[in-house]
Amino acid sequence: MSDTTTITNVITVVFLLTGAFFMLAGTIGFVRFPDFYSRMHATGKCDTLGEGLMLVALIVYGGATFVSVKILFLIMFILLANPTSTHAIAKAAYDVGLEPWRKLDDRVEWMNTGDTSDTGNISNTGNSGEGRADQDRGEGR
Amino acid sequence: MTGALLFGTIGMVDVFLAMAILIVMASFVSLYRGIEGPGIFNRIIAVNVIGTKTIVLLVLIGFIYERPDFFDIALVYAILNFIMTIAATRY
Repeated sequence: MSDTTTITNVITVVFLLTGAFFMLAGTIGFVRFPDFYSRMHATGKCDTLGEGLMLVALIVYGGATFVSVKILFLIMFILLANPTSTHAIAKAAYDVGLEPWRKLDDRVEWMNTGDTSDTGNISNTGNSGEGRADQDRGEGR
Repeated sequence: MTGALLFGTIGMVDVFLAMAILIVMASFVSLYRGIEGPGIFNRIIAVNVIGTKTIVLLVLIGFIYERPDFFDIALVYAILNFIMTIAATRY
């Protein structure tokens, strides 16, 4: 009994630590990457994988019960839904006209459009994004 | 199914509690990008990331307090998060 339980606990802890590592890496990438699309690249994969690994660890811990079947359905739904929502957000941003991050010359322009001041930051970017959305919707998506 | 001791006096519930605290800290770090980030899409993706972290947090809470009700709540949170993201990108 104790031997099997120890092996199960070790597998659970290993999966939990791996999932927490991926989740923290995704969070750091989400905060520190310079662009919207690269932030989406960080979160879309790392969160899905970290979440799947942590739920697999909880399945291993819980054993073959009805609860594990629920968590298995949760993992399958997450593996379907999370890349779909990431693709939907990226496609909506591309349709609106959000520009990707360039290397040096266009970077100054991107920084000027992104960060103008502290007080007018939210309203300026929101208004510019909605203006671009209206322009693009006039042409038909 | 209550956890046997793994490393001396550290039980499995303590490991789950540490993972839950770690997830809460990571979601607070993501909340910085949700508040500060330029544009509306950074906020949408921040809400999506915090929602996906909340699902794992709910399942961990269900294992910590040994209440199986939280898994249904986690499933509903996953479905609501997906529908909310699709609706926010299609508005």
